Amino acid sequence: MKGFSVERRLMPVDTSLSLALITLLSVVAALVIGGVLMMPFGANPFLAYWQLFEAGFATWRGFGFTLVKAAPLIMVGLATICAWRTGFAYLGFEGCLLIGAAAATWTAMQALPGAVLEGVPFFMFLPMVIAVSMLSGAIWSGIVGYFKSRFGGNEVITSLMMNYVAIFLVQYLVSGPLRAKGDLPVSPRLPENTWLPYLFDGSRAHLGIVMALVATLLVWVLLLKSRVGYELIVTGLNPKAARYGGINVGTRQLLASFLAGGLAAMAGTVDILGVHHRLVDGLAEGTGFVGIVVALLGKLNPIGCVIAAILYAGLTVGADAMQRQAGLPASVIFIVQSLIILFVLASDILRYYRISRVGPAKTTPVEVSG
Amino acid sequence: MAAQNEEGDPAYSLRQIVKRFPGVVANDHVNFDVRKGEIHALLGENGAGKSTLMQILYGQYGRDSGDILVDGQVCALDSTRDAIRLGIGMIHQEFMLVRRFSVVENVIMGIGDDKRWTVDLKKAADRLRELSLQHGLHVEPDDIVEQLPIGVQQRVEILKLLYRNARLLILDEPTAVLTPQETAGLFVVLRHLASMGHSIVIVTHKLHEIMEISDRVTIMRDGRVVGAVKTALSCKDELARLMVGRDVSLRAEKAPRQPGKPLLQLEGLSALDARGARALNAVALTVHEGEILGVAGVDGNGQSELAGAIMNLASITGGRVLFDGEDVTRLSPAAHHELGLAYVPADRRHVGSLGELPIHRNAILGRHRQFASACGLMEEPKIGQFADALIERFGIRPKRPDYLAGRLSGGNLQKLILGREVMRDPRAIVIEQPTRGLDVGAIEVVWRELIAQRDAGKAILLISAELEEIFNLADRIAVIYEGRIMGIVKTSEATIEQIGLMMAGEAHPANSGAPQ
Repeated sequence: MKGFSVERRLMPVDTSLSLALITLLSVVAALVIGGVLMMPFGANPFLAYWQLFEAGFATWRGFGFTLVKAAPLIMVGLATICAWRTGFAYLGFEGCLLIGAAAATWTAMQALPGAVLEGVPFFMFLPMVIAVSMLSGAIWSGIVGYFKSRFGGNEVITSLMMNYVAIFLVQYLVSGPLRAKGDLPVSPRLPENTWLPYLFDGSRAHLGIVMALVATLLVWVLLLKSRVGYELIVTGLNPKAARYGGINVGTRQLLASFLAGGLAAMAGTVDILGVHHRLVDGLAEGTGFVGIVVALLGKLNPIGCVIAAILYAGLTVGADAMQRQAGLPASVIFIVQSLIILFVLASDILRYYRISRVGPAKTTPVEVSG
Repeated sequence: MAAQNEEGDPAYSLRQIVKRFPGVVANDHVNFDVRKGEIHALLGENGAGKSTLMQILYGQYGRDSGDILVDGQVCALDSTRDAIRLGIGMIHQEFMLVRRFSVVENVIMGIGDDKRWTVDLKKAADRLRELSLQHGLHVEPDDIVEQLPIGVQQRVEILKLLYRNARLLILDEPTAVLTPQETAGLFVVLRHLASMGHSIVIVTHKLHEIMEISDRVTIMRDGRVVGAVKTALSCKDELARLMVGRDVSLRAEKAPRQPGKPLLQLEGLSALDARGARALNAVALTVHEGEILGVAGVDGNGQSELAGAIMNLASITGGRVLFDGEDVTRLSPAAHHELGLAYVPADRRHVGSLGELPIHRNAILGRHRQFASACGLMEEPKIGQFADALIERFGIRPKRPDYLAGRLSGGNLQKLILGREVMRDPRAIVIEQPTRGLDVGAIEVVWRELIAQRDAGKAILLISAELEEIFNLADRIAVIYEGRIMGIVKTSEATIEQIGLMMAGEAHPANSGAPQ
């Protein structure tokens, strides 16, 4: 009886079944801990979880909210995938999202009565706003990307700092240049012909989720099926091998930074044109960071990212409903959300290590093999 | 304790050791004995289970079943701490030294004297001097490790074990980084230690060294012991056959061939290493068509930078690279590829391939542009066909293009990389440490392919630390030492001793300083 030890596996486990089991185990563990936290409130954890599920996924209305929340998460998740799989450790998605939101607001304001785009039909407005917002986001992240590829250095710090610049820039815009007449520091309400149309009656789900899915498809093709994607992935896996293979690592990382910024800016755009319909301070609400988590939960795969985003958004929507209905604080669900992330990310270690008994627990039977 | 041990009785024994990893039985009921005062070689190909076995003996791995006996007694050995207490010490291939620390600091590191808060470096240094005198292992306790040559660092590792009163010394591939002269020095020390009653295990796949140094050999294959013989009663060919499981030829057949015109010319090429230190110093070499020029040298004397500088992957500080008379010094690596200059790097896992990607994605590294359609999408069918052809022609196992390159054995991975470069039909190949860590079967394939390429008129620059390889393959041998070429000799006129001296920094008497 010598106890247990942790030892490295010869080969990491990576069958889809074991991956699914490991993920499921993480989620269940988080739910169990969440259930324990509900006990002091006298709530029935099973009932509470059911209410949460119902509110987030099982009602038409609730699922609509889930999709509304999922769309920007998917966009930021895709941005993370493009950047990180190229080895560009960018963390400035929150800033790109805000820049995209501001750019979309500015473009949509050109459709206000008396401005140049007044009365422009939506199908013409949409490509314009996408172009302006993606370009702004790409330039914003491209600044960091340029410095990284030109001079090296640590993009983690610079990209994080750029987030604050973007936050204060939006504050400046809503209190000055883009401010509407009135007491509140917000932009004017955008004209309805610039709003993303709702998809169904009785649901707030808007065109943003469709745009997110199209973006997913495009990113998937780009990353996994194209020559440029091959170069991006090789660069991210190992810059030395990339250089050896004749790939220009600097320009590939710069390209990744453009893609990341453009996609994250789209998250801001769908939030402005689909939900807020005006630029307000504090609209990002950490989406630029939660999107990173979503991408990681999806193992930096575009499809996985969509699934993770919808589940995460559903949990958030459900948590609000649960708080209202069961009187449980939503913070319990935020704890569960955080634990799920923590466990799923930590569970990766089970792929590489296994737990085994140490030492000769029993005397070895002397046998003749042959 | 040793007195009870009759001559010939095993001092350390492994009995029926079983160690399973998912999908693999690394050790399948292995028995292994080391006697007092003997030098015992543990021979086997990569993946035969010899390292696993030694790591079990050193307490780094747990075992599924089986016993470890010391002087006939079953012992609890479940950690490295236990192993050290039982007098077992191990020197890994990669030295476990803190480079910035002094010799004595390294030696006493990890020896806990629980009752005291301070260490008495002076006392330790005195004991270390005494030990080094006693065993002929000359080191200066206050020297900083990173300033010492590799051979001396190895002495520090040995002293570390002796300081801990190790009676069994396990050395994993101890000669991989040594010059022939340093190897000879190591063997003197090992023989002395054995004569003092220490037991020594050498883990290796170099047959000629086994013949030279060991008293007995245990041979492992596929996790089992397939033989344990007295070295004096065996021969190289028998050992090779036991190790591989079939007959192998250890010599490469090579017909004499008149080299063609100069193809790859280096003129005063100088370059820096990754840390910005000067690693390559005015190297001048010429490789002709249909010739293998071997560059011999102990690892870390500028070989990687030499290859890197030719491909413009290292930071070049001076000189020129001419390819077919054209200056290609500053052309991008991609442009080098297109001109017909292929490069097989030493670091197969981290430069030559991407372990996380499947074979078919690795098969196109460096030539992926040829596999993309006009609209920029990868042409999967074409890639698949190419990968299949590559697998077929070079006998890569498993025959699955979607198999992850990181899971291939070293030999199969090298076949993939060399095959990829050969199938571009280049005019010149720069190849670095082509058979490092490969088993005999894979070495045969690589050697045969290189000779075939030479016979097809390709110019080959072979950079290798294995003298056996250099002598077998090269038409001419250049020796590199501290970034300089110490001299170039025809293989037919070269002797191992002469090359060994040049590898240790002595210039070639005839053509020193002015190569070519």
